[in-house]
Amino acid sequence: MNFDGLRGLVPDSALLLDEETRRVYECDGLSAHRTIPGCVVMPETIEQVQAVCRYCFEHNIPVVARGAGTGLSGGAMPHEQGVLLSLAKFDRILDIDTEARLARVQPGVRNLAISDAAAPYGLYYAPDPSSQIACTIGGNVAENSGGVHCLKYGLTVHNILQLKLVTIEGELVTIGSHALDAPGYDLLALMTGSEGMLGILVEVSVKLLVKPAFSRVILAAFDDVEKAGNSVAGIIAAGLIPAGLEMMDKAGIRAVEDFVHAGYPVDAEAILLCEIDGTEQQVTNELDEVATLLRQFGATDVRVAKDAAESNLFWAGRKAAFPAVGRISPDYYCMDGTIPRKHLAQVLSGIGSLSGQYALPVVNVFHAGDGNLHPLILYDVAKPGELERAEKFGSEILQLCIRMGGTITGEHGVGIEKINEMCIQFSEDELQQFHAVKSVFDEKSLLNPGKAVPTLNRCAEFGAMHAHRGEEKFPELERY
Amino acid sequence: METNAEQLIEQVKDAASHVKPLRIVAGNSKAFYGNNTQGEPLNISGYRGIISYEPTELYITARAGTPLIEVEQALAGSGQMLAFDPPRHTEATTIGGVVACGLSGPRRPYAGAARDFILGITCINGRGQLLRFGGQVMKNVAGYDLSRLLTGSFGTLGVILDITLKVLPVARHELTCTQNMSLQQVRQCLATIATQPYPVSAAAFDGEKLYIRLSGKRELLDETVRTLKMDVDADANAWWQKLRDHRLPLFETAAHCWRLSLPVTAQPQFNDEGFILDWGGAQYWLASNRAGADIFQQAAELGGSATLFKTSEQNQDRFQPLPDTLLRLHRGLKDAFDPQRILNPGRMYATL
Repeated sequence: MNFDGLRGLVPDSALLLDEETRRVYECDGLSAHRTIPGCVVMPETIEQVQAVCRYCFEHNIPVVARGAGTGLSGGAMPHEQGVLLSLAKFDRILDIDTEARLARVQPGVRNLAISDAAAPYGLYYAPDPSSQIACTIGGNVAENSGGVHCLKYGLTVHNILQLKLVTIEGELVTIGSHALDAPGYDLLALMTGSEGMLGILVEVSVKLLVKPAFSRVILAAFDDVEKAGNSVAGIIAAGLIPAGLEMMDKAGIRAVEDFVHAGYPVDAEAILLCEIDGTEQQVTNELDEVATLLRQFGATDVRVAKDAAESNLFWAGRKAAFPAVGRISPDYYCMDGTIPRKHLAQVLSGIGSLSGQYALPVVNVFHAGDGNLHPLILYDVAKPGELERAEKFGSEILQLCIRMGGTITGEHGVGIEKINEMCIQFSEDELQQFHAVKSVFDEKSLLNPGKAVPTLNRCAEFGAMHAHRGEEKFPELERY
Repeated sequence: METNAEQLIEQVKDAASHVKPLRIVAGNSKAFYGNNTQGEPLNISGYRGIISYEPTELYITARAGTPLIEVEQALAGSGQMLAFDPPRHTEATTIGGVVACGLSGPRRPYAGAARDFILGITCINGRGQLLRFGGQVMKNVAGYDLSRLLTGSFGTLGVILDITLKVLPVARHELTCTQNMSLQQVRQCLATIATQPYPVSAAAFDGEKLYIRLSGKRELLDETVRTLKMDVDADANAWWQKLRDHRLPLFETAAHCWRLSLPVTAQPQFNDEGFILDWGGAQYWLASNRAGADIFQQAAELGGSATLFKTSEQNQDRFQPLPDTLLRLHRGLKDAFDPQRILNPGRMYATL
């Protein structure tokens, strides 16, 4: 592929052609899959993005957008004959409107930088994916990122107002508005989580919320995973919606405690972290209520953080779960299925049996409030066959999530990683509907080709080995 | 009479093969809303009933023809609710109609809109294919978010069959405080309140009185009322219900009732036209005899949009005109779901 035509459309310094530089972009957070991009372009203005898109459209060159490259599903994995369009230079916060409580930012702004900039006004941006220190808002919109507070505050889709995007044909389109809704179809929802398949984001307006005055974390230990799951249901049934509700299994607790010394009870089968926020009085009352409930549901130990420092310490353990696992295993593979919470014990025991079958240990952390499970499969890429085994194991976990009425991805996206499992979760007609939507925006299939939605051919190959849910007539009506 | 999905699929397939338009109808309580559409009625009201409701999983799945009141009664039994306050125009109003029209009531700015609570939708597209998007879990990013795209699409993309909604607990206590104010005072007051972590669940102004509804724990509500220095109005609940269900006099008497959705900082002037301000300052209900083009322009200049919500006139466009590029994408999407244009053609925009 010849990229010479891009010269003149962007400054010379924004066009990276030599192999060593291109190699830097060969993967995102899913490092098991790598491809060196044909070239890397780092535009600085919307006009440059439009010019690059127009050129690529005319010359049939694939375009893969990239923010910070922290994604975990390979959504930003480059195309070897394509342009890797880095939005790293779109890193300005354009406006913090305190009266309207919104921020207008460029897509390359880091998630946490928005909250930092809003903090002097007592405001913040709610979705907080664990990579928030590094990940960008553009990537968050592309993946519809969540975080540990989405049970109460929602996902990215609930916290954005307006997007400006450039189509592959180079047109600038504004979607949504600074009002609470906009006329026509809900294109804002369609774009959110579309994984760079429909357009290139160049500006995002996000909602800012008033920072809660007070918050505290409660830690509960359980001698049985099912009891921990039941206590989550009990909290919800009591009419409480905590700001955060996280669970970790024994293997997780031990890995974290060795690393962070958060004071986690290492003999417990599971721990639950529950964060309550609001006014001081309200939080104090609700903590009492939650503590009582947790004991009723069989918690062996219930600790209410005595101050903000201890709350932070309790959280520090959960937030360090992935690096802690990184210390006990050369490599780990993070899964992202969501299940109805009531099936938690069954799914964890299923994962336990698979772990034995594949001879790979697994650590489970769980956004318990919203049923989003993150099993971390431990493996060593240096040992022949272990990566392949880990991937097969992972695929079986996702299929288990589908069988339990859940989904293959709660917040990490499909990308390249879960493309085969899409063939199981969706019927041929549904996949075709996705493709029809894609071609409205990108008829030549140049934006992030091969990601997010599998071709029917790919499913046919994959399907040779797997039973498909669409084999019965209208199974959807019964199972929905 | 009960209807099953297969019957509806057959009707859509038949209409598609003969290129005969269908007019989707259930409770028919929103016949006044949207543009006219011609076509054979496709009656969904027999496709009804709650499929599953799991209070501790915070979701309910119901068939589109289920009356809204039936859904709300089931939720109330477990102390839960549809937090977006959907309007109940009549007893026949269905959950499908609410979702297809994407309507949300006074709680919307504080809890979210209909689309924010959608977890999954099963629909029939214009080819007669049964499609399921989303599911019953809170977090789900597999595939494009087509269930939210269908929400508020007036049945022009698909016939909505099964709907899964996230539900929330009902607040333990609720009270409303009121005060007589000028519009200017209201705007200042709302701007101040919005910067505080008060437990506000609705804020509206009827032209004379500001109503602030608070939801949460008793002590917190009492404390907030003291800070706001407003009067508690024990009878306000009936007023909120009327606002939510569009039964206040303005909705019933106006020859043309407009809905303006504006940035909360917009400060529209209405001269002598009657209005109600809702959504904490982000939505106005306006009784106006001005030309539609004039109001669409006013809304656009203020960074928002207008909808002619109710009118006695037949041939007036109801929705804010879309810019060309957006309209082209809309037409493309219509084509992707309903290539023969048989589902509610023209109900939303003339070419969709």
